[in-house]
Amino acid sequence: MTDWLAILIYGTFVVGGLGLYFLLPTTGRSTKMAGALFGMAALAGAMVLCGGRFLAASGVNAVFFLFASVAIVAAVLMVTSEKPVYSALYFVLVVLAVTPLLLLQQAEFLAIALVIVYAGAILVTYVFVIMLSQQSGPSIYDRRSRSPLLAVFAGFVSMAVVAGQMAVLPQDWAIRGTLVSANSAVAVTGVGVGNIELVGRVMMGKYVVALEIAGLLLLVAMIGAIAVSRKRVPADGPGLEGLPLGQSGREAPPF
Amino acid sequence: MNDIAPYIFLGALLFAIGLVGFLSRRNLIVIFLSTELMFQGVVVNLVAMGRLHGHVDGQIFALFLLVIAAVEAGLALGLVVLLYRRKGTLDAESWSSMWG
Amino acid sequence: MVEGTISTWSMLIMLLPLLGAVLAGALGPTVLKGRSHWPVLLGVGGALVGAVVIFGQVRDAHDEHQMVVPLYDWISTGAGTWFSVSVLVDPLTSIMLLVVTGVSLLVVIYARGYMRDHNEPVRGYERFFAYIGLFVFSMCALVLGGNFLLLYLGWEAVGLCSYLLIGFYYDKPAAAAAAKKAFLVNRIGDFGFGLGILLIYLTFNSLDYQTVFAMVEMGFDAAGDKVSTGRFTAIALLLFCGAVGKSAQFPLYVWLPDAMEGPSPVSALIHAATMVTAGVYMVVRCGAIFAASPTAMAVVACVGAFTAFFAATMALVQTDMKRILAYSTVSQLGYMFLGLGVFAAEAAVFHLYTHAFFKALLFLGAGSVMHAMGGKIDFREFGGLRRIMPWTYATMLIGSLALAGFPLLAGFWSKDEIIHAAFAQDWLLGTVGLVTALMTSFYTFRMVFRAFHGVTRVPEGVHAHESGGWMLVPLVVLAIGAIFAGYAGVTMHPGGFVGLFEPHGWFHHFLEPVVEPFKVNGVGHVAAGHVGEGSGWVVAHLSHYGLMYASSALALIGIGIAYVLCVDSPMLAAVIRRAFPRTHEVLYNKYYVDEACIRWIVEPLKRAGRFCVGVDNFVIDGIVWFVTAVPRGLGWGLRGLQQGALQGYAASMVVGLALLLVIVLFGTWT
Repeated sequence: MTDWLAILIYGTFVVGGLGLYFLLPTTGRSTKMAGALFGMAALAGAMVLCGGRFLAASGVNAVFFLFASVAIVAAVLMVTSEKPVYSALYFVLVVLAVTPLLLLQQAEFLAIALVIVYAGAILVTYVFVIMLSQQSGPSIYDRRSRSPLLAVFAGFVSMAVVAGQMAVLPQDWAIRGTLVSANSAVAVTGVGVGNIELVGRVMMGKYVVALEIAGLLLLVAMIGAIAVSRKRVPADGPGLEGLPLGQSGREAPPF
Repeated sequence: MNDIAPYIFLGALLFAIGLVGFLSRRNLIVIFLSTELMFQGVVVNLVAMGRLHGHVDGQIFALFLLVIAAVEAGLALGLVVLLYRRKGTLDAESWSSMWG
Repeated sequence: MVEGTISTWSMLIMLLPLLGAVLAGALGPTVLKGRSHWPVLLGVGGALVGAVVIFGQVRDAHDEHQMVVPLYDWISTGAGTWFSVSVLVDPLTSIMLLVVTGVSLLVVIYARGYMRDHNEPVRGYERFFAYIGLFVFSMCALVLGGNFLLLYLGWEAVGLCSYLLIGFYYDKPAAAAAAKKAFLVNRIGDFGFGLGILLIYLTFNSLDYQTVFAMVEMGFDAAGDKVSTGRFTAIALLLFCGAVGKSAQFPLYVWLPDAMEGPSPVSALIHAATMVTAGVYMVVRCGAIFAASPTAMAVVACVGAFTAFFAATMALVQTDMKRILAYSTVSQLGYMFLGLGVFAAEAAVFHLYTHAFFKALLFLGAGSVMHAMGGKIDFREFGGLRRIMPWTYATMLIGSLALAGFPLLAGFWSKDEIIHAAFAQDWLLGTVGLVTALMTSFYTFRMVFRAFHGVTRVPEGVHAHESGGWMLVPLVVLAIGAIFAGYAGVTMHPGGFVGLFEPHGWFHHFLEPVVEPFKVNGVGHVAAGHVGEGSGWVVAHLSHYGLMYASSALALIGIGIAYVLCVDSPMLAAVIRRAFPRTHEVLYNKYYVDEACIRWIVEPLKRAGRFCVGVDNFVIDGIVWFVTAVPRGLGWGLRGLQQGALQGYAASMVVGLALLLVIVLFGTWT
């Protein structure tokens, strides 16, 4: 353990945390500039960390830097955006930026699935819900964070500790980190297969029960979602009179 | 490329940012979006770890995680709609009747 | 005796009524409704068959007169001490079983007619039969049980059934109070009984009848030491406490007259024929222990004699037919204990057996009258029912003659034998018995004459009628029993009483093995010179036959006085009442015993209870309040941490996780 490495790691997380703290929405004077500065500094620190510490040994290329940076920036913007629609769109950007990194890891099927399911299906649901429930303009609760300092402290301390631990055990990681290329899958199965076929074989073989359960779970969730959203709910508070008291929470007729 | 440390690092950062969003934002929809961000961090980690061990189980876990995310999105957003109908607001703070 | 037959049938005797009770209770409200008597009727009928089978087994047994059959192990301990559920079958058991199941069957048949109002079942019809079935089960378990633990179990279970049945009309305050009183008074006796059983266990390290009685006869305890007479006296008197409570002896008799609030079939079954005789059964069963202590026997005799006399005086002036019969039951039970106390156990059991017939008959007859009079039972409100209810009148007349000791009827033989044995022991006890016999015949016939003779009167708005067949058949059967049951205990003997009868018969031979302890120790006791000064003269000058003629005469005199006072010249009765106003008042108010109990026992206890409530409210509750104040204060201080918001809890979780990570990982940093 060298001191400069520790300082760099923890410093990166402290600066990054401060940046996120300043970027989070507040009602007072805007601190977004300071936040942006701190964030840039932290990003630079992270790059130095990865490049200086790890690049020399591992050959992480420019593609990784580019997309990792985009992902992190987009994530920060997603969390700090005052408009939920923007949050959703930034999240799409995060997904799109993570996808090439998965391709770098030879996880082609997962990358495609992630784009289709996340950026496609799930995000569409989010956007619909946002449209259904959002008043015009940012509301008060979007412009004020809830105990941001505590949140930043909790999140970044735990992750800094994990990252710090990662850094003090480089030898172990290097020894075991002999990465396996797609060819090793050939060694595993004995057949020349690509990633998609390999995933398919393992999923339909070793994890077939889990797959069935996942299917069942999806079915249950679908029924549950329908049941939940059909429920009539009386509005609380004055001016929003709902059903008579006896019928509150009762299910509406199915058709 | 034979070192997964940068990926772990990236996953940790995404997770941390998502966590902060989850803890500090008050809009219910953004809260759920933040959990999806945390899922992204986990996906990155899972894939990297799977490569470390030389098999695709990590990717399959990530796929199951995708299922869970879809389920969660479906149900949780349904609940969010219910909550919104009830209070007319998405503020998580408005649901604090259990205050001691 | 064949062991398999005994175990099978004794199981059936206990389980069939229980099954009937369960069926009546479970299916009665929904399925059986007005037919709820059938399962219990069939169950008790099956039990009666079993009793007859067991009786036949015992009668045909040649040399072994007692058999213990273990049914299954109940409590096993590693040390090897265990209680098994076993049955003990001997002549006493078989006779008790016959009496219990026979009377029960008749009462169930009777109740089929009685528990109806204009042919519609009364409310709680199925509950009534379920309780009756439960009672027959408990009583059979009490009688059959082969160790003291089962005896105690049955003892408490019949007490419970008695409580439930006295309080059958629970919406009637008097019935609820009577049930409570019966239960509490019995508890006092049962407490002593329980202590007695514990003392037996401490002394002999066993609760098994055979083991205990074998050791008692040798006079050694479990450690091999000689058991002192004082220890025997203590055990016997503690056991006798239970008998005093259950069999309504002085001073714990107070519950029995009040128990008449229950339905009449219950009074006939539980409070005349079976449950109240459990005390007599217990004393006979434990004869070895009682006979080993002259003091205890003297106490039993004196309590019995005093109760017989005392209860009879109270019965003289009552006007409620069931209450008269209740005091009469107390008095007759006193006779039985008198017989036990003077070492004439076979006479006591004989009286128990005959008494079951005529007293059940009288109670059922009184129930029939009550049924016809629309719930009225006080004969000041009606009279001259002879013409309206001829069958009830005829059967009750037979029962009354038997109770009064009219010659050649059931009650005469057994009562006379007890009085004779009492004279053999002490002339005072015998005299008390004779005087009580006179009073018995008087109050019995006072009741009969007032209710059935004279001008016909019925309460307003009551359509008086004879009871139906379901009620009359048991009455007739019991009346036949009341006439002929006594002949089980006499033999034809030329030159005996009225030239024909010798008062010692098959019944006595049958019971001989059971009452042996009384004979062995009793004879020795008499020979030891404890015979009263006067008894020698009585025994010498008044032979047994002479005593029989004397008691016959007394019975007739009692009936004659009752006739004169109630039918011939009622004015004379009023004159006598006016001549002794104080005496009448004291007797009519039952010596003010209830009032004294309330004043001197119940009220002080209530005051003590109120004091305890005060202590509980202020001292105990105060301490508890103080103890709870600490967590309450802590909670008040800490409840601010519960923000009630989702993210607050999540934040606490994550902060905790972060702190744990720091501690765990940095703890192993270097």
